[in-house]
Amino acid sequence: MHGDDDRVFKALADPTRRFLLDRLFERDGRTLTELESELEMSRFGVMKHLRVLEEAGLVVTRRSGREKLHHLNPVPIRLIHDRWIDKYTERHVSALTDLKTRLEQEDA
Amino acid sequence: MSTMTEPALATQVYSIYIKTTPEKLWEAITTPQFTQQYFYGARITVVPDHYESLGPDGSDLTTGDVLEFDPPRKFVQSWRSLWDPEQADEPASRVTWAIEPQDGDYCLLTVTHDELGASPKTAASVSGGWLLIISGLKTLLETGKPLAESGD
Repeated sequence: MHGDDDRVFKALADPTRRFLLDRLFERDGRTLTELESELEMSRFGVMKHLRVLEEAGLVVTRRSGREKLHHLNPVPIRLIHDRWIDKYTERHVSALTDLKTRLEQEDA
Repeated sequence: MSTMTEPALATQVYSIYIKTTPEKLWEAITTPQFTQQYFYGARITVVPDHYESLGPDGSDLTTGDVLEFDPPRKFVQSWRSLWDPEQADEPASRVTWAIEPQDGDYCLLTVTHDELGASPKTAASVSGGWLLIISGLKTLLETGKPLAESGD
């Protein structure tokens, strides 16, 4: 279904696709030709990877005149962060905060 | 990430699937009782020829015009950030909210903040903000509750 984590994780589980995201992070709004020039890969191969990224919502394309520009959409990564990262790091952080509070109370 | 300077993007695109109707999504974007729950506490009111965005302290958070008003599909606004004097001095940029209904009671919301080429401070400032706003909007519409504030 839409926004399914599976698609995002699957899209991220490939070095070429992560490379493409990093290139877009450096400079957003690039054409297929620009992205292709950074990879030792056929145009068709790059298109396939971009399609997987697009289906996962990580890349959004928009037309600018005659060009089709690829933009990084950081929202799905943010949602994964909210769903998966925050949850597990929060516990550690709060454990440390609790420890700090306890130790400081002992000092007093 | 920590040592890297994030590029200030002249065009920023944020898109997200939200399980809601176009009408509810439109209402969540254009009425203050909704916006204050996910938009940094801002009370935003959008009417055909005018929008207002009041911060929690009652001062204007942003200013601009309504460039397009097409409920429940599209709202385009010009944007000048007022929360920081350096950003307020930069030229106005543009924010487009596009709502596309999808199969299965979903909407695809795409927020495009562009025309930021001459406004690098604004571009850098809003890039993290949109992420928080948009994920908060999704959470609010899908769960009825605001996203818990997690410190940056």
